[in-house]
Amino acid sequence: MISVNNIYKYFGDLKVLNGVSCEIEKGERIVIIGPSGSGKSTLLRCMNLLEHPTYGEVWVSSKLLTPPDPYLHFDVIKKSKTYNSLFEQLKAENPNLSDNELEEMAIKKIKAEDLLKKYEGSEYKKALKQITKDFGIDINLARQNMGMVFQHFNLFNNLTVIDNLTLAPVQLGLKTKEEAEKTAMELLKRINLEDKRDEYPSKLSGGQKQRIAIVRALAMSPDVMLFDEPTSALDPEMVGEVLDLIKELANEGMTMVIVTHEMGFAREVGTRVLFMDGGVIAEEGAPSELFDNPKNPRTVQFLKAVL
Amino acid sequence: MNFFEKIFELFSTEKYMDIIFEGFKTTVIISVFAAILGLLIGTMVALVSISEVSPVTKVLKAICKVYITIIRGTPMALQLFIMAYVIFTFRGFPEEVTAIIAFGINSGAYVAENIRGGILSVDIGQTEAGRALGLTSRVTMFKIVIPQAIKNVIPAIGNELIALIKETSIVSMIGMFDLTMAAKIIGSGNNMASYVVPMSVVALFYLAIVYLLTFAIKLIEKRLRASDKR
Repeated sequence: MISVNNIYKYFGDLKVLNGVSCEIEKGERIVIIGPSGSGKSTLLRCMNLLEHPTYGEVWVSSKLLTPPDPYLHFDVIKKSKTYNSLFEQLKAENPNLSDNELEEMAIKKIKAEDLLKKYEGSEYKKALKQITKDFGIDINLARQNMGMVFQHFNLFNNLTVIDNLTLAPVQLGLKTKEEAEKTAMELLKRINLEDKRDEYPSKLSGGQKQRIAIVRALAMSPDVMLFDEPTSALDPEMVGEVLDLIKELANEGMTMVIVTHEMGFAREVGTRVLFMDGGVIAEEGAPSELFDNPKNPRTVQFLKAVL
Repeated sequence: MNFFEKIFELFSTEKYMDIIFEGFKTTVIISVFAAILGLLIGTMVALVSISEVSPVTKVLKAICKVYITIIRGTPMALQLFIMAYVIFTFRGFPEEVTAIIAFGINSGAYVAENIRGGILSVDIGQTEAGRALGLTSRVTMFKIVIPQAIKNVIPAIGNELIALIKETSIVSMIGMFDLTMAAKIIGSGNNMASYVVPMSVVALFYLAIVYLLTFAIKLIEKRLRASDKR
C-alpha cells in the first residue's frame, strides 16, 4: 500500500533520514519507535508529503507521490549524457569487458558518486516526465485517502466540532453538507461526544480534541491512518481514552502507521515494529521478537532505557 | 485674553469654522479612500508574499519585496512630492486623487507586513491539518488560516490607520487645503505663537476622527472574538 523507496531528508546540514526503505501492506499496523531525533516523525510525514524527501520516492497504492528520483530508475540513468560519456570512457579503459558489465559499472559509479546533473539532455528529461505521467498523482488527491493524526491535535480553531468534521468532505465535493453531517454525527456518537457538536475546540480537553481529530480523519474514509505521537501531548489520565480508540480501529482492520513512545501499546497493537536510529531503520520485526529478543545493540540499549 | 478664551473665540467665529470644516472634509476624504486603497494593496501583497513558490509568484514576490522596501524606507513627504510633481503632473488632475494614491500606496506596504505577520502567527499545524486532509493550499488559506489571522491583525491595522490619518497632514506641503492647512491659514500673519490656538482646535478634530475609528475597531474586534466563544 505504502512503499517508501530509499528516502533521504536533509534540513540544511542536518541529515534526518539517511536512506530509509519500507513496504507497508494493506491491513498491517506498523509501529515506529526510536529515540528522539531519530527521524521517525519525519519518516511518517514523508509518507503523505507533509515533508518532501530530498531524495528517494514514496509510492502509495501504486501511485508516485514524489517527483521521480532518477537514481532509482536504471533506464532513466541510461538516457543521461553523463552515463553515455562514462560508458564510452569505461569501454575505452576496459576493452575486454562485455557491454553488460560496463553498464553495471557505469550505473554503480553514477549512483555511488552522485554524478547526475540538473540537465542531462532531452531524452533523459523526457524519460523522467514519462514516469510522472504514468504513475504520478496529484498530492491533494492522494492525501484524501490517508488520514493523519498529529501530536498537537491541530483541530481547526475557528470552526466548531461539527464543521471540523465536515469541512474537508464538503469542500472536496465528496459529500453534500447533509451527508457529511450525518456521517460526522455517527462518528461523534461513536466516541460519545455528540453533545460537543457545536463547541469550539478551545472548550475541549486534550483527550477529547485528539479523539475528534481521529474521527475528523475517519470522516474522509481513508485507506490508511498515520499517527504522529498521538498521545505525547496529553495529560496522563487522557492517554487511555485515545489509545482505546486507536485499538478499536486496529481491531477493525484499519491499516496504520503509528509513531509512539507508548511501548506497551506498540507491542499490543503493532503487527510489525520498526526501530529507527540515526535516520535509518536499525531493526525491524514482529513486536514479540523485537521487544523480547532485540538483535541490534542500539535497540537493546533503547529498550532498556524506556521499559 | 487667555488661551481658552481664544479657543472659544475661534469656535464662535463663523469665518474660521468654515475654513476648518473645509479642511476637515479634505482630510476625511483622503484618509478614507487611502485607507481602502491601502487595505486592498496590503492584502494582495501579503497574499503574494506568503504564496507557494512557483515561477510566476517568484517574480511577483520580488516585486512585492522591492515595493515594501522602498515605501517603508523612504519619507512619506518625498513619496507625495514624487506623486504630485513627477507622476501626476498634468494640469487639472485632482489633487485629492494624487494624495489618495500616494497615501494608499504608502499605507499598503505597512498593511501588507501586518497581514503577513498575522498569517504567519497562525500555528503551522492548522495548515498541515488542512493539507493532510487533501484540501488545497488555497482552501486551507481562506477557510482556516485567514479567519484566524484576521483577529490577530485587527489591532495592528487599527494602529496603521490611525497613523495614516495623522500623516495626511503633510498634504499641506503640496498646497492642499486640509485640516492642518486650515490651521495655518487661520494663524498666519502674526508670530509663530499665533498658530497654537488654531492648531489646538484642529487637533480636537483629529482626535475626534481617531476616537471614532478606535471605537469602530473595538466593535469589529469584539464581534470577531465573540465567534470564539472564549
